Amino acid sequence: MENFLLSIQDFFQYEFLLYAFIATLLLALTCALISPLIIARKNSFIGAAISHSTLLGLAIALSITQAENDFLVLFITVMITTLLTSFLAISKTDKTPDDSKLGIFYTSTMALGILIYSLGSHQKNNLINFLFGNILLLNLNDLWISLGIFLFTFTTILIPLKHWLFVTIDPIGAEARRYKLKKYQLFFYLLMTLVIVTSVKLAGTILIETMLLTPGFFALNFARSIKQTFIYSILFALITAPLGLILANYFSLPSGATLAVVQFSLLMLSFLLKFLSQKIRV
Amino acid sequence: MLHLKNISFHYGEKPILQNISFDVMARDTLGILGPNGGGKSTLMKIIAGLLKPSSGDIFFDSFFNVNKDLSYIPQSNELNTIFPLKVTEFLTISLLNKKLTSDEINHALNLSGVAHKKDSLLQELSGGERQRVLIARSILESPKILLLDEPTKGLDGQGIDQLLKILKELKEKQNTAIIIIDHNINEVVRFCDKILCLNKTYHWHDHSELLTKNILEDIYHCEFEHLKLHEGGKHNHHDHIFCQHDHDHSHDPKAVNPKKHKYLFKK
Repeated sequence: MENFLLSIQDFFQYEFLLYAFIATLLLALTCALISPLIIARKNSFIGAAISHSTLLGLAIALSITQAENDFLVLFITVMITTLLTSFLAISKTDKTPDDSKLGIFYTSTMALGILIYSLGSHQKNNLINFLFGNILLLNLNDLWISLGIFLFTFTTILIPLKHWLFVTIDPIGAEARRYKLKKYQLFFYLLMTLVIVTSVKLAGTILIETMLLTPGFFALNFARSIKQTFIYSILFALITAPLGLILANYFSLPSGATLAVVQFSLLMLSFLLKFLSQKIRV
Repeated sequence: MLHLKNISFHYGEKPILQNISFDVMARDTLGILGPNGGGKSTLMKIIAGLLKPSSGDIFFDSFFNVNKDLSYIPQSNELNTIFPLKVTEFLTISLLNKKLTSDEINHALNLSGVAHKKDSLLQELSGGERQRVLIARSILESPKILLLDEPTKGLDGQGIDQLLKILKELKEKQNTAIIIIDHNINEVVRFCDKILCLNKTYHWHDHSELLTKNILEDIYHCEFEHLKLHEGGKHNHHDHIFCQHDHDHSHDPKAVNPKKHKYLFKK
């Protein structure tokens, strides 16, 4: 127990861990703000496709430079490949459902990323860090970027929330009142892409989806109002994300995987408690 | 107020609407009838601005503000109810450009018969109740043209009467023009002044009394006795398809005695 408390102290003693801690809080907060909207807008699969397709950008960046420390190269290459996935998501095909082309595209970009990385890189462990997340990758740059993304999300989602709710709940009614639904959709994909790209170091390409979905999933199952939905989502993220980070540091585990397991466990625990309380009432 | 000139719509190479022209003035009540797939909802979506016609023009008079003066009620099952949103909150976020008072909201909900549900969550309402909430929204909008796509779906007999009463009031007190699609042929003919029968091509009637048995049979591609099967829309979908492809329904236990429907064309 004493060791565990000491490991918490580490976050305030070592500068790089403090950066990681604050960045994690900001990213968790950002994910919590968009999480209920991702679920209600039925964008979970496109979220998975975007996050997985970051791998191609990461592989290119890691093969060309020591991009692990070159934030700009990493950011640009990853943004390009993920935006490609987003654009593919909104392009319509007449005969086949949209999710099938997304499924094909993101697995193919992943495969291409692995091939490029295998042919080009000499530091095989780097990619593993990005697949499952590693808090040691987070630095001061990430803190500022996380703050920027949080402020951007707050301004574009939370302030005009009523408009987002209307286009989500009644898209046909909104379109008939001359809302530009396609612009809303495009913007939302762009925002998801930005959040995913920023969170990749912390949560990992494969596991970021848990951070994006569990707070909203929890909130939508327990909240009885819109206000509660966003408060629950934020509280869930703000409790689970630091806990996951502390456990990852203490046990020297990949941060993304630890975070995902902590969030999933808490989600299951909440459903178990809900079930038991209903049984007791009956 | 609303003028359609030679509107056509194709989905791929498949023609849905061909050369449809008509005008709607203030206080008009236009009923759109026709079998499923005849293009009724497509035409309504074109008027609402949700679809662009493949060819033809749609005009509104210069005093008409499309953003404010047109209200469209789609079918209720098209609402996404994942968010826990109260009925009053839904009305507020739907009409952000209007500063609604709680008295106005209560009045509209009262008229549409769901005042007792104002603090309920949208996700807890039945299809019929959601439809009434959408009607309340349209009342709050005070539109110059009101478009309703199958508004009686999910409503019981009392609900249908209540709806027609509200529509009549909107027409008489606010000069609202009403365009309505419905499978309840009897109700549509009884309520509307003008009738548009659609099955890709169209038949226009300035007076609903001019609608004859032969025209309806021609539009629905089935005999008059079976038109009753079209009423209720999706509920009788199987019968509907059956009707279009086979004129001999003598073995159909649901076939309705035509004598019972003599009132159909009487106002």
